[in-house]
Amino acid sequence: MQVSISATRKGLTVPSYIMLLAPAVTFMLLMYAYPFLASIVRSFLDKSGAFSFENYLKTIDLYTKDIAFTFTVTIFNTVCTAVLAILIAVYFRIRQNRITTILSAIYKLPLFIPFVVVAQMMNSFLAPHGLLNVALAQLGLIDLKQPLQLFNFAGLSFGFLWKQVPFAVLIMHGGFQMIDNSYIEAARSAGAGMGKVITRVLIPMNKSSILVSLVLVYSQIVGTFTLPYMLIGGKIPTTITVDIAHRVNYFRDFGVANALGVFSYLLVLLTAWYYLKTKLGETK
Amino acid sequence: MKLNYRPILIKTFELVLLVLSFLIIFGPMSSLFLWSIAQKWYWPHPLPQEISFAYWKQALGIEKSLAIGAVSIVPAFFLSLGIAIVTVIIAMALAIPAGYALAKYKIPFGTFVMFLFLMPNAFPQQPIFVNVLQMFTRLGLAGTVPGVIIVHILVGLVFGVWITSATFRSIPPSMEEAARSVGASAPVAFFRITLPLAAPGLLASSVFVFITSLDEFTGTFFVGLPFVHTLPLTLYSSSGYNMQFASVIALILLIPSILFMFLIQRVLKAEYVGGMG
Repeated sequence: MQVSISATRKGLTVPSYIMLLAPAVTFMLLMYAYPFLASIVRSFLDKSGAFSFENYLKTIDLYTKDIAFTFTVTIFNTVCTAVLAILIAVYFRIRQNRITTILSAIYKLPLFIPFVVVAQMMNSFLAPHGLLNVALAQLGLIDLKQPLQLFNFAGLSFGFLWKQVPFAVLIMHGGFQMIDNSYIEAARSAGAGMGKVITRVLIPMNKSSILVSLVLVYSQIVGTFTLPYMLIGGKIPTTITVDIAHRVNYFRDFGVANALGVFSYLLVLLTAWYYLKTKLGETK
Repeated sequence: MKLNYRPILIKTFELVLLVLSFLIIFGPMSSLFLWSIAQKWYWPHPLPQEISFAYWKQALGIEKSLAIGAVSIVPAFFLSLGIAIVTVIIAMALAIPAGYALAKYKIPFGTFVMFLFLMPNAFPQQPIFVNVLQMFTRLGLAGTVPGVIIVHILVGLVFGVWITSATFRSIPPSMEEAARSVGASAPVAFFRITLPLAAPGLLASSVFVFITSLDEFTGTFFVGLPFVHTLPLTLYSSSGYNMQFASVIALILLIPSILFMFLIQRVLKAEYVGGMG
């Protein structure tokens, strides 16, 4: 008997994709969407469950400095990542020799190392008597009696850049590789120097992958808990993520923890909007 | 004759860059390695005065030690491994059908589904874990292994769905249609044609979910403490008072991550790789 394909398809389509999607979507609704909405709703509830701004008043009173610190760390590291990653990715695009081959093989290494290991690594490397200070003292650059104190903004930034620059380079690299040589040659023959080629041709043509990588770097820095927790901990100022952990672990104060969470959402609002917009546009 | 200095200058600059990159990338890593074998290391000595693999042996349960923080990590290792294996099985069982549906069907509420799977990448996840903890406390799942597994599935599922749907999208629909046209039913066509073609991508996605689970810290920290001690949490709790021991665990965690990620990175889109830890 001949079975028409279109008939069997029609009979299957309606229930099958719903059945295929249902388990994963149900899981995400219960374990992601519900907690996400709960975090916003609960930030406006006091201990008795009544609507109030109590959590926000307490957050602003106690943590304004930390929110500002988180924002500063994030902006500073995103800008540094942008500059360093663009320079490295452009360098990989315009020079191909033995040195770039070695570099492009090793630069990815930090990417594959989980944050908790990076945190421990930086914890020992940047310590007052850690390897970095000892090495600088050997070179006569510092006096070990007054080692560099790095468990603060500086050390945190070193850790973030160590992990995020390779990530940004990896995304940008793909975009730069896709630009055809003829564009560069055309600009050069029209009299443009290498600097002009980079700022007028390479960077504008790779704008979308540069932006996406920086948006991801930005939101990852806002949300990272391990590195600031193990490097700075409860010292002042610290990041929002560390404050949330302290609020939950020491005080069981979920209200203020959620208000802090909402502040972290606000910090990424613009980047989240851009990310969702481009990604949803891509898949259409 | 005038010498052209430019190429020499550029070469010198490149060599300086190379040395600097090596120092920046391997400096922190070598600190970890030195600490893991440092038997005696009193500052201001630049290198350990006495080295031995005693801490490795203690960590791996070969030798017993009474030093603070030096417990065998073998139980934590097997716990992490077990959690990761169960996480991969459940997460992939959810991700493969969903990824297939997203790749092959036109779904009326598709944008909403995509949105749901993109959100965790766009917003900080920590507030989610805080509220999951509250939910789990009510349900009696806080501080239990099943609770930790559910959180690991949450972290892995998003990447699982994106990687599998990209994999299925890369397989031309004509292959499955050809099978259907000679009389194969939809499930048969899927299992005989599409699944084997998608196998490498699905394998890469499973490995990725496995590694995210093995390295997961934040969710386990909120939901699993104080009873579930995975490898990353053991590393965290020993880092305060036993530098050598913490370094050994860090290196043990680092090896599978580098190895597996190196193997599958060709198959992955650059974006996914950054979502770890």
